[in-house]
Amino acid sequence: MRSKFFVLGGLLIVFSMILGACQPAAVPTPESIIQTVIVEGTPQIQIVTATPVPVVPVEEMKVLTLNMGPGDIPTLDPSLGTDTSSIQIAVETFVGLTRQDEVTNEVEPGMATKWESVVNDDGTETITFTLRDDVPWVRWNGKEVEQVLDCEGNVRMVTANEFYYGIIRTLMPDTGSEYAYVLGMVMVGADDFNNGITDDPTTVGVEVIDEYTIALTFIEQAVYNPAIAGMWIAYAEPSWLIDGDDCTEARTDKWTETGFFQGYGPYTLKEWVHDYYLTLIKNPFWPGADNIPVPKIEEVTWTMLDASPAMAEYEAGNVDAVGVPLADMDRVKADPVLSAEYMVAPDFCTYYYGFNTTALFVDDVRVRRALSFAIDRQSLIDNVLKGGQEPAGWFSRPGLAGAPTRETHPELGVAFDADKAKAFLQEYLDEKGITTAEVDITLMFNTSEGHRRIAEAIQQMWKDVLGLDIKLVNQEWRVYLSTIKGAGTPQIYRLGWCLDYADANNFIREVFDQNGSSNPYTAGEPSGGVFWKNEEFSTIVRAAATEKDPVKRVEMYAQAEEIMVLEDAVMAPIYWYTRNTLTKPYVTRTYSTGGHEHIEKWDVDMAAKP
Amino acid sequence: MGRFILRRFMYMNVVILVVSMITFGLMHAVPGGPFDREKALPAEIIANLEKRYNLDKPLWQQYLMYLNDVFIPQFSKTAPTSNLEDDALITFKVSGNLWVRWMNFGPTFSSRSRTVNDIFRQQLPISIQLGILALTVALTIGVPLGILAALKQNTIFDYLGMSIAIFGVSVPVIVLGPLMIWIFGVTLKWLPPTGWGTKPPYILGIFPSDLSWSFWRTAIMPAVALGLGSSAIIARLTRASLLQVIREDYIRTARSKGVKESHVITRHALKNSLIPVVTILGPMMAALVTGTFVTELTFGIPGMGKYFVTSITNRDYPVIMGTILLYAVFLVVANLIVDIMYAYLDPRIRYD
Repeated sequence: MRSKFFVLGGLLIVFSMILGACQPAAVPTPESIIQTVIVEGTPQIQIVTATPVPVVPVEEMKVLTLNMGPGDIPTLDPSLGTDTSSIQIAVETFVGLTRQDEVTNEVEPGMATKWESVVNDDGTETITFTLRDDVPWVRWNGKEVEQVLDCEGNVRMVTANEFYYGIIRTLMPDTGSEYAYVLGMVMVGADDFNNGITDDPTTVGVEVIDEYTIALTFIEQAVYNPAIAGMWIAYAEPSWLIDGDDCTEARTDKWTETGFFQGYGPYTLKEWVHDYYLTLIKNPFWPGADNIPVPKIEEVTWTMLDASPAMAEYEAGNVDAVGVPLADMDRVKADPVLSAEYMVAPDFCTYYYGFNTTALFVDDVRVRRALSFAIDRQSLIDNVLKGGQEPAGWFSRPGLAGAPTRETHPELGVAFDADKAKAFLQEYLDEKGITTAEVDITLMFNTSEGHRRIAEAIQQMWKDVLGLDIKLVNQEWRVYLSTIKGAGTPQIYRLGWCLDYADANNFIREVFDQNGSSNPYTAGEPSGGVFWKNEEFSTIVRAAATEKDPVKRVEMYAQAEEIMVLEDAVMAPIYWYTRNTLTKPYVTRTYSTGGHEHIEKWDVDMAAKP
Repeated sequence: MGRFILRRFMYMNVVILVVSMITFGLMHAVPGGPFDREKALPAEIIANLEKRYNLDKPLWQQYLMYLNDVFIPQFSKTAPTSNLEDDALITFKVSGNLWVRWMNFGPTFSSRSRTVNDIFRQQLPISIQLGILALTVALTIGVPLGILAALKQNTIFDYLGMSIAIFGVSVPVIVLGPLMIWIFGVTLKWLPPTGWGTKPPYILGIFPSDLSWSFWRTAIMPAVALGLGSSAIIARLTRASLLQVIREDYIRTARSKGVKESHVITRHALKNSLIPVVTILGPMMAALVTGTFVTELTFGIPGMGKYFVTSITNRDYPVIMGTILLYAVFLVVANLIVDIMYAYLDPRIRYD
């Protein structure tokens, strides 16, 4: 009898758990919603109840929710940012001396309304920037965005002094800025100061002329100098907040946290809940400019979700734009609603395979060409990647300043050509008197499902076209990075490259010139990566940096690409990236090509939002 | 018992020290460093960074510095600043201008304005909350299901219960999670697909300050998804153990003395059969409350779980050390509690 009671009790508990888990959201209880209604820039708090009482229709506050990807945003400190998430927040909360259009990547006025260039006797170039004088520093005080006051109670305006401070702080060795080398590469004295050779900041080529005028001196008269001057590592920073002054407590490393943060861009930080979400709020004191308008959207929140949960939130209507996970790609394209919200936009990155030109078999250019020609890039995109990527014929992605395009150079670079590939390989085999079975080549990539699928597809293409059995090896990311930088670089390795600033120099020269990122040098000789030294190539890319005639410049980079991907074939470009996004129809937006959205140009039609 | 606990605490220090030494050695032995990037950084930049984080010093010195920062209270004459180096888990003022700082687990390399202590303060409570809820789900489903199956061995209840258990074991969170999100979050819209309904500050630094529906609606799906797998393990263990115990002589004795069947089960059989269950609860608890990578990623919960994985792929040395030591402490303490519970459950077990 009693045991029955236990059975019954056990059953009841189990069923109550199951039922409890499935219980719907009961009856919607009326709850108070605090809504901030903005009337002509003056924030007011109104209490509106969600119960169906006749409420006078007020204009709903425009809000937007986006997704940043999993993991916390590494930093909001412009001096320290290196990744897309950090820089996304920096470009909205600060504005550089110049600013690049997010779609065309053209250099436009930022905080500087105009700039003048003077070439000095020693060949250096000094650019004098004139700043606008109507932008105050702002902060979120817990209730509203307010202007930052100095110790005398006056509004702190953004001046040349803070730009000077920002640049010097980026370069100070103690700051530990990873991107300081970009300034070091172009600015006079910056490298020595950053390396600790001198600790005198006056040796750096940056000078405050007056409150609203700053002069930067560059090593070469490079075309991309104004673009680099507008990068996040050269933003104005609030010295009083970071180091403290008579009336402000020093917040040092913590100055970018909620409640402390100060900025001056179209948006400013409202709340940053680490690992969870970040909310920016419209800066009502941003005066607006043609290319950086006063924002229409009041608040922008970024969640930090993995691709699939973010997609679920998008479909549930809680996130307004999202990247499409590969697993959902076919479904999105087939779905009548989702496919209308789907957009493929270019993304300025290139995926490539590098060849160790000193390793057996691939030390012969014919083998490298054969391998490169045998890759059917379009088939890879259609069957494996599925994201509308573009087959890459060369390295510098079209759209970058100076980079060749398919329109200007239809014949440039490599494309799938089985006959050419076979011919090059056969010539090599005949000369060496060996068969394809004796050719032993290894392709290495870093451990990742995506890279494996690409590698396996290309392995099959090499098998089908050339009859070669290429081995696949993978290594954990950091182990892999050290492998491909030294003598142990495998015959073929995988890498990708995304833009820092939209110029072909950032691709061709910074990656493949001597001591480039994928061509490291030790004591003046190649010591890793592609192990490549070609004086003609180096001469061209260095001259192209300062070439003022844009048409001639593109021609020079095309020539450099021809050497890199065909004549010497040190790398096989595979594809140019695209971004696959879904955006709700009530959002009006631009599609950034560099990865950093300019939300101040976006709009949301709240009435159309369900 | 007091002496036993004291002795175990002393062992714990030794365990933690050994764990820290092995972890430190292993993580530095793995190739690749925290500042290796796809875009290779110039050597000078890496030198600046290594200097900033003391990685330029010999390894033994780095290890001693770490031990010093974490285990030995530091006295200082100045108030702590907001520099990351000054962030200790326990900071208090002794007198006028003497400050004590203890347990400084160091900065994180991947998040430039945070320290490992920040992760402990902001992410760990969320993982603990989720872990406790999942464990509750696991126990409330697992134990009754196991009892039911054992008492009704070879009946429909047994087969049904064990089928549910096998389902729970073989359907991992990575399948169950998205499925639940799709049904309850996207299609029915009963629950939010992702998120966690609380944020700092927490009561006692751990518990959510708001226990309203807005918390529970985010917690139900991850707690059930995470707890179901563990409940299956518990159910199977409970069943097997109870089946064994009810065939013991002392149960037969109790029955022959005319003790009521319900009394035999609750007082004699169940109590003894829980020993294997309690044994597994120790490590299970430690694993659940320190964060679960897949569940947190699937449900977008800002807990600790991902740091166990990303810190290693990022070679984020202080976070690796911090997470491993944290896990070690939880494991040792959980096992101590298990040992104490043995003495309660089985009178034959004595520690003095």
